[in-house]
Amino acid sequence: MTIILKIILFIVLAPFLSGLISKIKNNLRLRKGQSIFQPYYNLAKLFSKAEVVSEHASWIFGVTPFIVISSALTAALFINSISGLLLLIFVFALGRFFLALAALDAGSSFGGMGASREMFISSLVEPAFCLVIFSLFLQSGSTNLTVASIVSGIALFLITVAETSRVPVDNQETHLELTMVHEAMVLEYSGRSLALLELASYIKQMILVILVARIIFPVTMPVFAGIIIVAAVVALLEVSVAKMRLFRVADFLGVAFVLGIIAVVCAILGV
Amino acid sequence: MDSTEIITRIKNKLPGFDALSIAQNYPDEICIKISPQIFKDTCYVLHKILLSPVMMLFACDERKTASKFVINSVFVSLKSGQWVTVSMDLPQENPSFDSLAKTIHSAGLFEREIYEMFGIEPKGHPDLRRLRLHDEVWPQGNYPLRKDFKQACEGNLNEYKFNRVEGDGIFEVSVGPVHAGIIGPGHFRFSVAGEPIVNLEIRLGFTHRGVEKLFEDKNCFVAMRLSECISGDSSFAHSLSFVQAIEKICGSVIPAQAVYIRAIFLELERLYNHVNDIGGMAVDVGFSFPAAYASVLKEAILQLNYNLTGSRYLKKINVVGGILIDIDDAKKQLLLKSLENIKQDFNELVKMLYSSVSFMDRVDSTGVLRKKTAEDLGVVGIAGRASGIPLDLRKYFPSVYKEAKFKMAIQESGDVLARLRIRIFEFTESCRLIDEFTQKLSEGQKISVTPELKEGVALGYQEGWRGPVLYWLKIDSAGLIQRCKIVDPSFNNWQGLSYAVLGNIIPDFPLCNKSFDLSYSGNDL
Repeated sequence: MTIILKIILFIVLAPFLSGLISKIKNNLRLRKGQSIFQPYYNLAKLFSKAEVVSEHASWIFGVTPFIVISSALTAALFINSISGLLLLIFVFALGRFFLALAALDAGSSFGGMGASREMFISSLVEPAFCLVIFSLFLQSGSTNLTVASIVSGIALFLITVAETSRVPVDNQETHLELTMVHEAMVLEYSGRSLALLELASYIKQMILVILVARIIFPVTMPVFAGIIIVAAVVALLEVSVAKMRLFRVADFLGVAFVLGIIAVVCAILGV
Repeated sequence: MDSTEIITRIKNKLPGFDALSIAQNYPDEICIKISPQIFKDTCYVLHKILLSPVMMLFACDERKTASKFVINSVFVSLKSGQWVTVSMDLPQENPSFDSLAKTIHSAGLFEREIYEMFGIEPKGHPDLRRLRLHDEVWPQGNYPLRKDFKQACEGNLNEYKFNRVEGDGIFEVSVGPVHAGIIGPGHFRFSVAGEPIVNLEIRLGFTHRGVEKLFEDKNCFVAMRLSECISGDSSFAHSLSFVQAIEKICGSVIPAQAVYIRAIFLELERLYNHVNDIGGMAVDVGFSFPAAYASVLKEAILQLNYNLTGSRYLKKINVVGGILIDIDDAKKQLLLKSLENIKQDFNELVKMLYSSVSFMDRVDSTGVLRKKTAEDLGVVGIAGRASGIPLDLRKYFPSVYKEAKFKMAIQESGDVLARLRIRIFEFTESCRLIDEFTQKLSEGQKISVTPELKEGVALGYQEGWRGPVLYWLKIDSAGLIQRCKIVDPSFNNWQGLSYAVLGNIIPDFPLCNKSFDLSYSGNDL
């Protein structure tokens, strides 16, 4: 019962976080911006629309949205237990693998570009993600704010930026098909399938932001407040830097990797 | 430089040279008529001694009146501030001439244009594929700019052949003509090895409207409005070039007040476009705060345009013989005050961009167009100056700019940053010029004269924000246009873009493209 409740809660609240970030971003840019509930309207619209599927696409294209949404929801179930965190990486990887396959499947040139870039970025994200989780294992049992928890929180924040395709790694808002990473992979999708993929990425973003908030902020602080602070920082980062040149992303995620190592060392030393 | 001097210089290099006739109808134009046998060599010699690319090369159909085709080739002499036109007659049966393209690269596109529009073959041209009349919809054997062309006749349709790069790991990415953003249509065919671009072929012509044909047999007063629609972001530069050509033919003397007002509007057009491009570059690297800031600034300039003229894009204010809108004292105050705010905001914007490491990292050394390549291709305007080609018509031709001690922007590195710097420098310089020109205005002056229509030929030229906008015009005594040849700076610069992106990665293409910011409609005509 609690599982079902949790799933429903994630589905209902995840789009709100996206709406919140874009609202903060727009206000920072001196714009009024779209409604904070716009992601819900978009999902409602997409669910009621018919789908267009490329004639070159195989069954992979059809099943991918379901695999991706299931993987995101599965991940959501494991964020409470420290031992389940390692599973996150693999569950995310499963969704990403199918998404990349589906992007190639439709046979458009943008899908191929998006898939290759996504794989390049994820090969850098995953090692750093592993290190952060190792560090959390080593820290488990302690609820104090330690150097190790702060460093791993920062590393996870950088990973979150990359995983949720935000500036400076990717740009969700762009209309430039040649620069897209995540957007290029879902470019061939429409209607219900697109809605599922969007929802999956909202949930993924929610999971990562919750993790960051829980690691950095003391347990006495409500999770909700932590989430809003992290969302505000993400928004601030997005408006204040330019997107990196694609191959610079390696440097950015290299920092996350090094921070991950430091977090592990600090956790071993117990500081 | 007068005509005898240029003839002597040609003769020094080309002993067999003999002109059929030499005319200097206006102080800034020299026309040399020669026989087809020496056309190629003469053009080459002029290209070398004037250090000028082929600025225009086009044909005129005069079969009805004189049973011949005429080919004109226009060069610019920056040193003396003059245009040199070389022309030759071709017979109306099976017209052809020796192609210049192999010795003067910048003639290549013009010759393709002549071939597709007139059916005059440039013999020995390496690439005669059609530019605007797409093979998929236009049957072979249609030559729309011939005077007797009324309607496309049926014939064989072909498929366009892209240049192919083959090899291990090379694949093609085709983009367009429909794009995700609100921009003009163009097809880009990338050959890439992973992310780096090995070759880019740009196919344009999707917005071909046949404007040169539309100009024909139109009264030149009516055609004024047409010239504003050639390229919407340079509507004032286009209409100004067009009226300049007519006024030269009519011999009208434009009142000083009108000359200054026109210069102010031309600079205002430059201001809003430069800010738009600078913001566009920020958009293309995902740097959203300065992008939003620039769009606010652009809007402020457009509103200033509206308050001064009633048109945000400066349309319907130019007339033959002057200008419709006067800048009286109230408007003068408004202009100066707005300009002050705009300048301040612009400095903020520049500071924001220059102080951002992430932004500078993206623009520095991206999309380099080398000087030699730019010279060979005949790249002009902002893109040319960013690669070290000192060509700005405002500097070399006698005008109000010369009086105002105009300073030309120039950069050497040819990358996106250089093109950005050119824009920033020109923005500041334009603000200064507007300031200076505004001081010269006084209330109650005459702002237009009534032109007396005459028969004749003339070249109109203005440095629009993107580069030189050229109009070659021939009108008859009733004021009807016989031939109007338009060259927008986009025409040769598109080629420059396809060279500038080589070796860059695909995600950097939009940034390179924005730094050129070329017109689709200005190219497609």
